[in-house]
Amino acid sequence: MAKLYVEAVPPADLNKNTEWFMYPGVWTTYILILFFSWLLVLSVFGCNPGTAWTVVNLVHFAITYHFFHWKKGTPFSDDQGIYNNLTWWEQIDNGKQLTRNRKFLTVVPVVLYLIASHTTDYRHPMLSLNTVAVIVLVVAKWPNMHKVRIFGINAGNRVAVHGY
Amino acid sequence: MVRLPYLTALTTLFSYGLLFAFGQMRDFFRKLIDWSKSKGKDLKGYAPICLGLEDFYTRRLYLRIQDCFSRPIASAPDAWIDVVERYSNDHNKTLHRTSNTTKCLNLGSYNYLGFAAADEYCTPLVIESLKKYSASTCSVRVDGGTTNLHSELEELVARFVGKPAAILFGMGYVTNSAIIPALVGKGGLIISDSLNHNSIVNGARGSGASVRVFQHNSPSHLEEVLREQIAEGQPRTHRPWKKIIVIVEGIYSMEGELCNLPEIIAVCKKYKAYTYLDEAHSIGAVGKSGRGVCELLGVDTADVDIMMGTFTKSFGSCGGYIAASKEIIQYLRYTCPAHLYATSMSPPAVQQVISAIKVILGEDGSNRGAQKLASIRENSNFFRSELQKMGFEVLGDNDSPVMPIMLYNPAKIPAFSRECLRRNVAVVTVAFPATPLLLARARICISASHTREDLMKGLDVISKVGDLVGIKYFPAEPPKHVEQDKKTL
Repeated sequence: MAKLYVEAVPPADLNKNTEWFMYPGVWTTYILILFFSWLLVLSVFGCNPGTAWTVVNLVHFAITYHFFHWKKGTPFSDDQGIYNNLTWWEQIDNGKQLTRNRKFLTVVPVVLYLIASHTTDYRHPMLSLNTVAVIVLVVAKWPNMHKVRIFGINAGNRVAVHGY
Repeated sequence: MVRLPYLTALTTLFSYGLLFAFGQMRDFFRKLIDWSKSKGKDLKGYAPICLGLEDFYTRRLYLRIQDCFSRPIASAPDAWIDVVERYSNDHNKTLHRTSNTTKCLNLGSYNYLGFAAADEYCTPLVIESLKKYSASTCSVRVDGGTTNLHSELEELVARFVGKPAAILFGMGYVTNSAIIPALVGKGGLIISDSLNHNSIVNGARGSGASVRVFQHNSPSHLEEVLREQIAEGQPRTHRPWKKIIVIVEGIYSMEGELCNLPEIIAVCKKYKAYTYLDEAHSIGAVGKSGRGVCELLGVDTADVDIMMGTFTKSFGSCGGYIAASKEIIQYLRYTCPAHLYATSMSPPAVQQVISAIKVILGEDGSNRGAQKLASIRENSNFFRSELQKMGFEVLGDNDSPVMPIMLYNPAKIPAFSRECLRRNVAVVTVAFPATPLLLARARICISASHTREDLMKGLDVISKVGDLVGIKYFPAEPPKHVEQDKKTL
């Protein structure tokens, strides 16, 4: 197979926690991981495809909610904590809203929801779980929710950032 | 600009995802086990030193391959170097030194002109100055720490670099991080290249000025940023900026690329911004007589406002300098804290730089300087072209003695490093956070003291290890004699 090459220009994003998302191949890797995890669930549990998609949707909800919208800060200390109050979703693209990456990440849970509800024929317990998952994820990604902490949940400690 | 196969990009992202997932799982179980053990017995009321997420990268990714970094050495960093062997009993969490050493080919030290080991002209003079001035001046420059060696070196550096005056500092990193706050403060603007060294980033953060970044080596983006910033002015008040400084490096140490200096200087002159050139890796190593990237690219030194360099790389010593006009140097002498409060450079180190510069200029009476400069240029070009013929992805421009070989996948970093060490070649591998997450690389530094046999051995080992690890991303050029045999058949 002829090797397809891509060019990767290092982007001028200073936040090392999010700049990996601007490289080529990220979207494809994300979609391939979802697809292969569906195959994995099918082969491990031996259930019907609809239940497998529901499982993938719910696990995807748990993981992406935890890492994109709950965990704050960066996994290394080089940037001296200037992002300590921002979740990963609020950090990407330097806080600019409605970029291509953000639109892609908002569409993926919706597409997963459509696939999951279609393959389960919109039956009762799965449909409500899937709907809850997609509503929470899409609302969390709205531009108006930037830096909003409902009822102070996850507001974290008010550590004074020694800045200027 | 790097070109990588698409499949490699996918697998690298997937590998990092897997490492991240495993790290999170281990953290989760660690939290469970610790929660049942003891609940905060001595930490009552005190904040934790690290918030839970901050040292995740260090604990779960870096410590796994810790034996590839910080290897202790037991000799001078010449072309061959003694590396101390280490072992670990708990999967690399702690490493213990043994008393055995292995002699390895040194492809990792910044020994561009070969002054790192004993030199026939420099070392006797250094020993003499050690006996006369002792190992330390035990004083600050302004108190009693300026010997006549220091003054001689400042004049010599200014003459070598081509500027009216120069000032010395004891440490290269400190030169950047203490000078930039002295030059620009609140109300000023610093525009720095996106791949600038950490010392410049720290200096810029510590200065209090606003910092903007322009895309690496692109004069058009620099012009865009300059126009936008000059039009907008200071944040919130929109008053004009007090001064604008553009900071670039001569050779970027992680890419091996030369700076696009003539165009960048032209853009800065058009918009009346000051320029600061960090020649840490290029002074003494490039250019016909070793005077750095200005000589190589034909830029007049009067056009660059401030030229900074270090003595660690090409001169085999330690410390840094700033060369600029007499007024700027005089101003720095009474404002820069590294001059007012930090101990001055050690006298034998100063003598080493003086002798090294004299050798490079040919003032010691021999032509060893010219030989060394020719040798490093030939060695670097030979090594780089051979590596590219073998199919490796090598970054960097021609004539640059720094050549990174791209690895990408996180698993290939320890594989490459350990396999090379097993075959007695010492290389330096660089991963996150010194480089972007996906672009891990092994960085080779060529020296003038490498002979042709050393380079052939290095190429042989790297080729074998490259096949083993799978980093020959480009098709290799077939060797010429095979095609001739086919034609005769």
